[in-house]
Amino acid sequence: MHFLAEDPRVVFLGQAVGVPGTAMYNSLKDIDMARRVELPVEEEMQMGMCNGMALTGLVPVCIFPRWNFLLLAVNQIVNHLDKIREMSYGGYEPKVIIRTSIGSERPLHPQQQHTGDFTEAFRLMCRNIEVVRLEEAHEILPSYHKALQRTDGKSTLLVEYGDYHNEK
Amino acid sequence: MTKEELIAFEEEIAVEFNTGKVRAPVHLYSGNEEQMIEIFRSVQPQDWVFCSWRSHYQCLLKGVPREQLKKEILAGHSISLCFPEHRIFSSAIVTGVLPIAVGAALAIKRQGGSERVHCFMGEMTAETGMANTCIKYSRNHGLPIRFIIEDNGKSVCTETRETWAAERLTFEGGHDPLIVYYRYQTKYPHAGAGVRVQF
Repeated sequence: MHFLAEDPRVVFLGQAVGVPGTAMYNSLKDIDMARRVELPVEEEMQMGMCNGMALTGLVPVCIFPRWNFLLLAVNQIVNHLDKIREMSYGGYEPKVIIRTSIGSERPLHPQQQHTGDFTEAFRLMCRNIEVVRLEEAHEILPSYHKALQRTDGKSTLLVEYGDYHNEK
Repeated sequence: MTKEELIAFEEEIAVEFNTGKVRAPVHLYSGNEEQMIEIFRSVQPQDWVFCSWRSHYQCLLKGVPREQLKKEILAGHSISLCFPEHRIFSSAIVTGVLPIAVGAALAIKRQGGSERVHCFMGEMTAETGMANTCIKYSRNHGLPIRFIIEDNGKSVCTETRETWAAERLTFEGGHDPLIVYYRYQTKYPHAGAGVRVQF
């Protein structure tokens, strides 16, 4: 996340980006608060706001702590972010980096509503968002680098494993 | 652009649609020309305009040349017209543009810009949770945005007040500086121009 923060276009948005609350917070806590926007819990609004910020040229990093929470933002991901470039015939090319995770199962298992992995489903639904599941630690930095620097007009959805925050 | 020019444009599109020259849905305005002209008196070229599937008047009043707009409509793009050079973005999904408009306004505020955002929606959209959420966030954070609610009483063919069992809608008759609310009666159906077109 520090690498991303070096780019002045980048803004981090979501729940627990400005205050503790999820494992992802630890990767953001040393970033200048001016670059982080703690949002109310309203996933679709959050995703739409990131799309709107991206229209103006910023690169929002839109953070959903779990896939299951991200599902509430599907309209703004599938109907909007994924389609804006086509709807505008290349006129708008919003770049959003979506960060989510497969909920951790150890040491506490949060059960069915917190451990979903919808990677394959989103790959089927999206043409202009590359969905990347980060299987190993060494994939993380190159994947975020590509997400930030890419010039193909696509956005990127990066999927972490919650358990790896403690185990890898 | 005058009231007569706006009406003439939509009537021209209606003819094109009714004669089978547009192979895609169109949603036409009528009866709200004076309100739209008044709203656009305070819209600057650098401002952003966010619209729904019905946006021909906004495009014309924001400065899109009528022939360019007509070309896009004839090409089948009416329900999601986007003109980046004029900072116009439209979505054919109910509530779709609302949070996007809020995000644009937040970006402007964070960067100290002088632009404003104008976000149009129908009265059924204005009753949704998303509308309430976006208006609340924008108001509480002092974002440079206003929401224009256009009330023609219907969502497609559904009576908005009847379905909500409400004689008065949420933002109707209010005095919120963030909201412009107006009612109008249209002569056009929700989609098309009143003639069944056989392709």
